[in-house]
Amino acid sequence: MTNTGFRKVLRRREFTVLGLIVLLVVLFSLTTERFMSVSNLSNLLLQLAGTAISAIGMTMVIITGGIDVSVGSTLGMASVVAGKLLVGGYSPFLVLLSALGTGLVIGLFNGTLIAFGNVPPIIVTLGMMSILRSLMYQLLGGRWISGIPPAIRVIGLGKWLGVPISMWITVVLIAFFTYFLSSRPLGRAIYAVGNNPEAARVSGIDLRRTTLFVYAVLGALAGFAGLVYVARTGIVQTNTGSGFELEVIAAVVLGGTSILGGRGTIIGSLLGAFLVGIIKNGMVLLNVPALSEGLVVGVLIILSVMIDVIRARGERS
Amino acid sequence: MEYILECRKIFKSFGGVQALRGVDFTLRSGEVHALVGENGAGKSTLIKIISGALLPDRGDIFYMGQPVRIDSPRKAQEIGISTVYQEPLVYSELSVLENIFLGREIRTPWGNIDWKREEEQARSLFASLGLPHHFLREPMGELSVGLQQLVLIAKALVYEAKVIIFDEPTAILTEHETERLFTIIRKLRDQGVGIIYISHRLEEIFRIADRVTVMRDGEVRGEFPITAVDRAKIVELMAGKLLVEEIARRGVKGDHPLLSVQGLTRRPRFFDISFDLFPGEILGFFGLVGSGRTDVAQTIFGLFRPESGKVFFDGREVSFGSPEEAMQAGIAYLPEDRKVQGLFPIQSVAYNISVTVLRELVRRLGIVDVRKERDIAEKHIRELNIKTPNLKTRVYSLSGGNQQKVVLAKWLSVTPKLLILDEPTRGIDVASKSEIHNLIAHLADQGLAVMMISSELPEILKMSDRVVVMHEGRITGVFEGPEKTAENIIRAATGERMAVAGGVGV
Repeated sequence: MTNTGFRKVLRRREFTVLGLIVLLVVLFSLTTERFMSVSNLSNLLLQLAGTAISAIGMTMVIITGGIDVSVGSTLGMASVVAGKLLVGGYSPFLVLLSALGTGLVIGLFNGTLIAFGNVPPIIVTLGMMSILRSLMYQLLGGRWISGIPPAIRVIGLGKWLGVPISMWITVVLIAFFTYFLSSRPLGRAIYAVGNNPEAARVSGIDLRRTTLFVYAVLGALAGFAGLVYVARTGIVQTNTGSGFELEVIAAVVLGGTSILGGRGTIIGSLLGAFLVGIIKNGMVLLNVPALSEGLVVGVLIILSVMIDVIRARGERS
Repeated sequence: MEYILECRKIFKSFGGVQALRGVDFTLRSGEVHALVGENGAGKSTLIKIISGALLPDRGDIFYMGQPVRIDSPRKAQEIGISTVYQEPLVYSELSVLENIFLGREIRTPWGNIDWKREEEQARSLFASLGLPHHFLREPMGELSVGLQQLVLIAKALVYEAKVIIFDEPTAILTEHETERLFTIIRKLRDQGVGIIYISHRLEEIFRIADRVTVMRDGEVRGEFPITAVDRAKIVELMAGKLLVEEIARRGVKGDHPLLSVQGLTRRPRFFDISFDLFPGEILGFFGLVGSGRTDVAQTIFGLFRPESGKVFFDGREVSFGSPEEAMQAGIAYLPEDRKVQGLFPIQSVAYNISVTVLRELVRRLGIVDVRKERDIAEKHIRELNIKTPNLKTRVYSLSGGNQQKVVLAKWLSVTPKLLILDEPTRGIDVASKSEIHNLIAHLADQGLAVMMISSELPEILKMSDRVVVMHEGRITGVFEGPEKTAENIIRAATGERMAVAGGVGV
């Protein structure tokens, strides 16, 4: 029993990813001097927080068999709203609510069209991505937002026990949503919907409500990630968050969530985020041109989805 | 209250076709009531009405003595009517435990799922059914289909089912699994559950049922205690006096077989299949779903490799490695599901008809000869009487019957010698059906050899010169002339091996 149990752990994607992370950490600490430095590691964690937070929501969306490519623009839009309000001197609490609210509204919009309008998720969110980006142009008028008051920047830059506060928040969110997905009826319904919608319908699970829920949560989390971004960088530009969706989806898919739906864990996505983050960070330190970072991440995404598809084919026969 | 479930004068029609004409059906607690009938007799419609998937047009349903309106599968489950389908509806990625409790979780006071109590309840449930329960935490997908089915029975019990419907539960089970299922069904019956049992296998019904209802043409033809009826009587009622249409044939059967199949085997699908097919002949293949007819056809067509046996086509031994080779040799195969395998729905009529001969249409520089494409399409539209506004019309907008004609045209444009038809008129309106029948007869009269798989007895009787009947992967009868009767065919199809004059395959 323990033997097969142990073998099962070894077979899990999380384990493979963890192995890769360890391998890369060893590799980068041997080949670069700065990788293992405190400043680099905490910088890495700072950058990772936003990805990991959004990956929580993306994991749920992909488990239902959907996808959301508008997260990057959602993050951008929320950071525009947050940035403007902060510069305007509004209270941090109100700013927090507005960032969350912006993301939530976008997520509800996506979710409604997907769940009730039966529009394919890739189309809805692709359209949303473009719409939000052009709205950001309108709102910013080609200028940057800067001069963010230092009080709020604690969320992005502050530390507690040597670990960034944003990472602590991430850990709390991950713990909560892991509990939610594993122990709450609605959490389990998310898996059911992705695994076999027909069976879910017959067992009386509300497909539409479940779908709407996951997009709304992802929107809100991406909104929060937007605030964290503003707090960390102190700057909002028109291209803030562009390309971010790829990073988030990469983290989720690498972490073992099946793009075919029905399978995945948030811990896996966190590991996936670490893997992507470490690759990016290490390649910068190695002075590899920025181009090849995208190359490596792209290849990894395709490889891990291929493994999913081959696995699914094997199960069917 | 004598009956747990009582259906009175149930009527249901689909677009002019009367599927149920005043059906009465009753079920007591603690009995197994078998429901039998040919395809199209109305069994599935009745079951769908009882399980909440359909609403009746007219008629009353009483459950535990009270009139009820069962308007969704969910509702049926909640009042205690559960259905175990032939193909288990499962979440393969989720654990067995979750498959049982999803939608009806046991919760802790904080609203969390109480895994411990769920597992306890599942254990005692499995124990009461005499089942092992070490796999409760395993993913459902790792269980055999037979075990998955048993898990779904356990799920029905969680919903405190008082009525459980089994829809051909043994069709995909091994013998051992079937035995275990029967043990459990008997246990449930002894615990007072009412069981509706649908099966085509008459021998099973005599083993498990207490009562049997025979349906035909949307009506109940008889209802008996199982001890008061025999196999012959049931078959007679299932077959009835079928009204068989005649079709004019010229009868130009050739002297030498075009296709000769000898001892073809591909386990576990079919075993030792032998038959000859002559030019100008229509050879009907009858059998229940899963009897292996389609597998035989697809193997001949090169979609699968046989394990053993020989196929002779046009005078020489062949072994097609792909459908392409079979097509080049002169075989066309019209698949069962035209939507998935036969059509490109969003392409034009002309495209669909000529796609099989695309290579011949290509002119220099790889450009498709549009005029030739149009000529071929026009010829077939005329010959097959396809009703389409024009050549550019997209195929999905045509009626089912005309879509089927397009598929037929597509295969005829390669001018085959052997045409294999798999359920050629399923889901098609009556008028188009008879047009397609005339067309098939016409093609055979011109010397084409036709292998026609069909689950509709009237169609088989009307069209076939000879009928091959299969049951569980084996040929159980070959009939022609006066032997070609509904009763003989049904008996062979339900597993009674027939001694036929001249032997199988001649």
